[in-house]
Amino acid sequence: MIPSPSYPQPVEDNFEYISDRCLDIVGLLANSHDPKAGALVLFSGDVRDNNIGKDVAYLEYEAHTSLASKMIKEILEEAIVKWSLKLAVAQHRVGKVGVGESAVLVITSSPHRKEAYQANRHIIDRIKHEVPIWKCEVFTDGTKQWGNNCNCSTITGKADKHIYESSSTEKA
Amino acid sequence: MRVTVYSVLKDHFDSSFNLDEQFSSVEELKNRLEQIKPQSAAILNACRFAVNDEFVKLDFKIKEDDTISILPPASGG
Repeated sequence: MIPSPSYPQPVEDNFEYISDRCLDIVGLLANSHDPKAGALVLFSGDVRDNNIGKDVAYLEYEAHTSLASKMIKEILEEAIVKWSLKLAVAQHRVGKVGVGESAVLVITSSPHRKEAYQANRHIIDRIKHEVPIWKCEVFTDGTKQWGNNCNCSTITGKADKHIYESSSTEKA
Repeated sequence: MRVTVYSVLKDHFDSSFNLDEQFSSVEELKNRLEQIKPQSAAILNACRFAVNDEFVKLDFKIKEDDTISILPPASGG
């Protein structure tokens, strides 16, 4: 989490892990380069214009901001240690997010690409399953639906036990 | 005690409300909410509970001035 001193440090103490403004993808990316990192992976979760066969007008996100911020910070710190990353950053939007806009951003960097890819996928999986953030899809026909992309408890029997997509790739 | 709910639970309850009753545990609170709104039972059973930015279990002892957050399964990303 400590890039070379000659490079800007994007994760400041007051960093907004949860933001009600458009995510500054270019700015965050520009601040994430590190001379000791040969790989930098950026994932942007963008708003699709359709879901379950319906046209999406926009998404509305809400969060338990203080708890979500604390959890994202902890997830990033754990990933930095586990994969010996040079840097890990994540930011999630709340409020109205339009089609084509970025709802969540994860940036990881490491000396070689394997670790940056694996860590990035692990981080987004954990954010999606664990962090108290919720999406409401608003469709062009005026209907809306709260997202339920984490229904792991129906399989695991526990609200805090999840099944991650990245598990299979991490073992490979 | 004050209760704050999120996401789909707002279809059943106000986003934040006070309860004059005192409950000894989170489980008692959950059972009471299920009584008030039986149609919320399924989602309440999948929820996590938090007090002061810490997740708590169903046997957590609630204090009078605690704010309990009830968190449906996450759907960020």
